[in-house]
Amino acid sequence: VSGDPRMPDRVTRAVLWVLLVVVVLAVPFVFADQGFRLQQFSGWMAFAIAAAGLNLLTGYNGQISVGHGALYGIGAYSVALLVSDQGWPFLLTVPAAGVICFGVGVVVGLPALRIKGLYLALVTIALATLFPLVVEQFSSVTGGRSGKSLTSLQLDPRCVRRRGEEACLDTARERAVRWESPIDGLSADQWKYFLFLAITAVVFLLMANLVRSRMGRSLVAIRDNETAAAVSGVNVSRTKILTFGISAGMAGVGGAVFALNAGTVNPTSFTLLLSIYLLVAVVIGGPSSVMGAAIGAAVYGIFIDVISPELPERAEAATPLILGVLLILQMFFAPFGIVGAYKKAMAKVTARRMLAAAAEWAAAVAAQEAAESQAAAGTTAGAAAPQVGDDRHRSGDGDG
Amino acid sequence: MTNFLQVLVVGIGDGAIYAMLGLGLVVIYRSTGLLNFAAGELSMFSAFFVWTLWNAGLPMWLAILGGMVGGFAVGALLEKVAVSPLGDPGSNPLPIVIVTIGLFIAVNSLAQLIWGTLEKRFESPFGTGQVVLGGVAIQWQKLGSVVVLFVVAGLFFLLFQRTKLGLGMRAVASNSEAAGLCGVPVPTILMLGWGLAAAVGTLAGVFTASAGNALFTNMMQLTLIFGFAAVALGGFDSLGGAIIGGFVVGILSSVVPQYIPLFERMKLAPAFIVILAVLLFRPEGLFGHKQVERV
Repeated sequence: VSGDPRMPDRVTRAVLWVLLVVVVLAVPFVFADQGFRLQQFSGWMAFAIAAAGLNLLTGYNGQISVGHGALYGIGAYSVALLVSDQGWPFLLTVPAAGVICFGVGVVVGLPALRIKGLYLALVTIALATLFPLVVEQFSSVTGGRSGKSLTSLQLDPRCVRRRGEEACLDTARERAVRWESPIDGLSADQWKYFLFLAITAVVFLLMANLVRSRMGRSLVAIRDNETAAAVSGVNVSRTKILTFGISAGMAGVGGAVFALNAGTVNPTSFTLLLSIYLLVAVVIGGPSSVMGAAIGAAVYGIFIDVISPELPERAEAATPLILGVLLILQMFFAPFGIVGAYKKAMAKVTARRMLAAAAEWAAAVAAQEAAESQAAAGTTAGAAAPQVGDDRHRSGDGDG
Repeated sequence: MTNFLQVLVVGIGDGAIYAMLGLGLVVIYRSTGLLNFAAGELSMFSAFFVWTLWNAGLPMWLAILGGMVGGFAVGALLEKVAVSPLGDPGSNPLPIVIVTIGLFIAVNSLAQLIWGTLEKRFESPFGTGQVVLGGVAIQWQKLGSVVVLFVVAGLFFLLFQRTKLGLGMRAVASNSEAAGLCGVPVPTILMLGWGLAAAVGTLAGVFTASAGNALFTNMMQLTLIFGFAAVALGGFDSLGGAIIGGFVVGILSSVVPQYIPLFERMKLAPAFIVILAVLLFRPEGLFGHKQVERV
């Protein structure tokens, strides 16, 4: 009998992880000359963070939101306002955006407590449709339809030399923010990429810990049977509202990264379509799997940034059609997404190997038994037989 | 005062449109307990049927009838192909809601592929005339949408209360399992429900297009939210509630932006607040039934 039959799954998993780390670290050097590609990849990371937030809500908790695009937008606008109007340092605005969106999420998520079912979808689809209008309503702050750039005040150095910083504020000019790499040999684009990669990694690590914690188990318990969860001592209301808050906060962090990456925000980036695409990414990647959101975001990014621009002009309008049909087909054929399909395939392989191992073992026992019965004819053979059956049974249990 | 009445008239006209979409939402909700997020896009799609027929030379009224038949067919087909195979929405609604959201973007994009992104000129079936009463101009178009709404509501009443089909629909709404055991063909009823909802939705699409004199693929996105606000307010399972909710939401979204500067460019904000407030304080709406669940 050779080794643990679950080995191939573990090996594939380890190989995939190593591959992921290598690819993600190599990308900024492979695409060193293509700043726009690096910026697109950073955009995927922003999207992945928000999708992970939505996954926490939809995949783990069974609530559905069609409004995470609006929360993403709120995060992005928070960053733009804090950087351009308040002069905050960039990286401080990321957690700030998360906190702001957490607050919005708690307010918007309140109705989800009152009634079961999918009414949260109703509130959030309204939020997603409303958000661009809010941006236009408060155009004096948000810049309205023309958007808002991330700017910093640039003091005239000659003026500063003559009159000091204080006196020069009124002659200062706004300048689009620029990133400077503090590390020699790393371009600004590469530096940005690694910075966002670090943020993304932190968010995904926190999420992985969260879903394995007591709260993570509460989320799943509520999804599977709310009454049973409540009876088992889960505080359903608190958990649900906290989940929506955290999920919204993650969308906000994603939006913050989006804004820092793009350097400008515009209401047309945060339409209802974005909310739906986030849902598409979660479902395609694999709901209730931490890495599912990242995989879904990558698939979406490849589709939108790589494949779609190659399509003939007339077919470009077909992008939502293809994604929509894909979403529907998936509900029929692979409701647990890419990760779900992978797990299923792996479980099959493992099951087959376990069966083979069990059969091999049974054959060995039978052979031994035959040898024993030959050596000492008598009653010993009868006792060994049920034991074989027992073990095969036990291997079968391990498959699920 | 004249100004207020004028704004009120506009709100009532809009409200009739929201109520029409709301009726379709209620029909589907009653039979399956499902919110159809694709309802607005399906209305838009069949409004394009109407435009195509009208553009081919048919009179507007005939074109609308044809569009309703087309809408009915599309709605029933989608229910058969994409919704019903996923099983009982009562026990596992998430996949079906995701399907309706998939339909939302797919139908929108399909319409763009077929008819392009440019606005199409769309004429009101009631023409452009108006009647002036005490300084308040009432367009035939607005009056017409209210009349059509009440005609549709009357037909719905007859259908549900006076026909065998309607009886079957009510039976399915109240307990689909028991109805099935009594010989009601539940799958057919559900399919017809979607078809009926889409046919009424066609009218919502036609009146939205003729209110703005233009037909374009994204026109129903706001109307959908207004329609949802209407049924949330009226109660998700109440046809009468959808009508009253439609008018209230229509009036609010017309009056509030006019008089409160904060809402000047956010016609949708009152509807959003209505949805949020109703779900928070009276989830069953004004005329709906309380959700009761047995463990």
